[in-house]
Amino acid sequence: MKFFGKRSAGNGNASRQAPPTVRSVMYSTSPLLASKTPPWRSKFLVGLVGLGFLVLVGRAGYVQIIGNDFFLKQGEIRYARTLDLAASRGRIIDRNGQLLAVSVPAPSLWAIPKEFQADRSQRQKLARLLGMSVAELAGRLDDSPNYVWLRRQVDEQVARDAMALDIKGLFQTREFRRDYPYREAAAHVVGFTSTEERGQEGIELAFQKELEGHKGTRRVVKNRLGGVVEEFGEGVPPIDGRDIELSIDATYQSLAYQRIRDAVAEHKAKAGSVVMLDAQTGQVLALANYPSYVPGDRRNLTGGQLRNRALTDVFEPGSTMKPFVVSLALETGRVNRNTVIQTAPGRMTIQGATISDSHPHGALTVAEVIQKSSNIGTVKMAMQMQPREMWEIFSQAGFGQRPQINFPGAVTGRLRPYKSWRPIEQATMSYGYGLSTSLFQLARAYTVFAHDGEILPVSLVKKGPGESVAGVRVFSKQTAQTMREMLQMAAGPGGTAPKAQVMGYSVGGKSGTAHKQEGKGYADKKYRSWFVGMAPIDHPRVVVAVMVDEPGDGKYFGGDVAGPVFSDLVQKTLRSMGVAPDLDVRPQIVAQNIPAVEESF
Amino acid sequence: MTRLSVVLLLALIGSSMYLVRVSYDARRLFNELDRAQSEARRLEVEHERLKSEKQSQATPLRVERVARDKLAMRAATPAVTQYVAYAPAPAASKEAP
Repeated sequence: MKFFGKRSAGNGNASRQAPPTVRSVMYSTSPLLASKTPPWRSKFLVGLVGLGFLVLVGRAGYVQIIGNDFFLKQGEIRYARTLDLAASRGRIIDRNGQLLAVSVPAPSLWAIPKEFQADRSQRQKLARLLGMSVAELAGRLDDSPNYVWLRRQVDEQVARDAMALDIKGLFQTREFRRDYPYREAAAHVVGFTSTEERGQEGIELAFQKELEGHKGTRRVVKNRLGGVVEEFGEGVPPIDGRDIELSIDATYQSLAYQRIRDAVAEHKAKAGSVVMLDAQTGQVLALANYPSYVPGDRRNLTGGQLRNRALTDVFEPGSTMKPFVVSLALETGRVNRNTVIQTAPGRMTIQGATISDSHPHGALTVAEVIQKSSNIGTVKMAMQMQPREMWEIFSQAGFGQRPQINFPGAVTGRLRPYKSWRPIEQATMSYGYGLSTSLFQLARAYTVFAHDGEILPVSLVKKGPGESVAGVRVFSKQTAQTMREMLQMAAGPGGTAPKAQVMGYSVGGKSGTAHKQEGKGYADKKYRSWFVGMAPIDHPRVVVAVMVDEPGDGKYFGGDVAGPVFSDLVQKTLRSMGVAPDLDVRPQIVAQNIPAVEESF
Repeated sequence: MTRLSVVLLLALIGSSMYLVRVSYDARRLFNELDRAQSEARRLEVEHERLKSEKQSQATPLRVERVARDKLAMRAATPAVTQYVAYAPAPAASKEAP
């Protein structure tokens, strides 16, 4: 308004000369327009606009050509996501496809304590779901303000229920856990993994490389809702771990575990082990130890539970060595099965040390030496041999050699070089003292007799039906057959282990009993009892070795303690393998037409 | 000439709209496919879990435990023979509901 007023005041002179009408305003003569625009001004403007365009073109050139990579990358970061593709760890299955170890989803629950908001009842419900008290839960949450695991690897249902409580600050992460359906029965063979699914023991450790999967990735475009709308670039497909097919038969494995567990309980023993080998192929059908553990729940474990005794514990093989010495004597023609050896009076002295039998037997044939397990008889045969011969047979049978088996912790055992053997040592070694072996090695050594004189390579992984096994010849077929007959006598009436007999099947085997070594000497009242045998004797299908550690109920002979376990196992196994019985089953009570003793009256 | 341009313009607009629609459909379908695939993976894993669970319910150890603890069964040997005597119990049958 003010401005208008001033302007009208300024025009005062002109309005006096000519009456002011709208028409009369002469724009062309307006003094404001009178001054001429200098031409540089428009040129300057045009120049500015042109320069602006140039800058834009330059910028475009920079973005499109020079800095192209950078901008493309920045753009991609804003819309593209890289997703990890989880690869699952391979399964471990038995020879019939039964699952021994498998990965199952197990979400882990975690919380951000400073965001954690839950009322009393929610806390109570959550604590119950997680299997802890409310106080424990509160203690967990106090650990750190930013991040705490509440419980790792819970069941899926538990996680679902916990998330359904709708607590703020509670989250879950997808993880996988190993599930072991056969639990403690197969624990020592299968082993277990860490929380990160890395193998720690057993097959899980031995085949970590094969079982392990490799994570993949894919590049995707995600929309506002988090859904994948497009995939681009070359992703890396995830590679699942390979399944490992073991030679173990889960049924026999469970059976072996149950039997050895019951035997350990019955004889108040400390521990026990069973090894069952296929006598045709050398594959391990069962390998069980007691005490064992549940691989899924490894709290409060002791070393004794974890130890795979059949493979890691060594002991002196005792009488179970005699068949090797006697076979060597047969093989070299020093004796035949009917050669008579005088073992009376049940003791003999070599270099001042006395060797004795538990009972004096008198004159025995070679077959009876094995049957009665005579130390003297064996020593008399062994003393005719060179130490080198014996050593060679022992090491060919796998003693003092690490078993060629892909399994952690398998021990070598001990067999001293023959050059350092003194005669008394040669004598004691012939009946199994002064060298040591694991039960597994012992079972394998007996495949020599079971497989017609050839020792078989052992394996825990299933072989295809076409894969042939090449045994290494140790004895002739003839010797092995003769020895099997002798072993049958040992496991029959008049032998050391009649309790190892099996209804319907002929068996052969050798029992062993020894004082346990403690420090430098032998413990007086602590024993170890074992039995190694095979069945059926004409054409063995299985070799079974059973060992019971420190039986504590008075019975301690291998034939009494380990024999029944062998018998039970062999009977059930052979029947389920479909092996036809080769003995007539005799009912225990027979009503026969025998004249009765006349009653006195 | 002008008419041709108009026709071409209309065709261009139509085709552009169609392109928009098709790419929208492609994304929607891809999203669905992706969701179905992850569902398939989830179900596969679930299947594996259930298989393992089913098996652990049928292992010899578990069967033995159930038979012993729940059903109170024992291994039979000739030593545990029980002789069942036949004795009619009319009183007992009346009491039974």
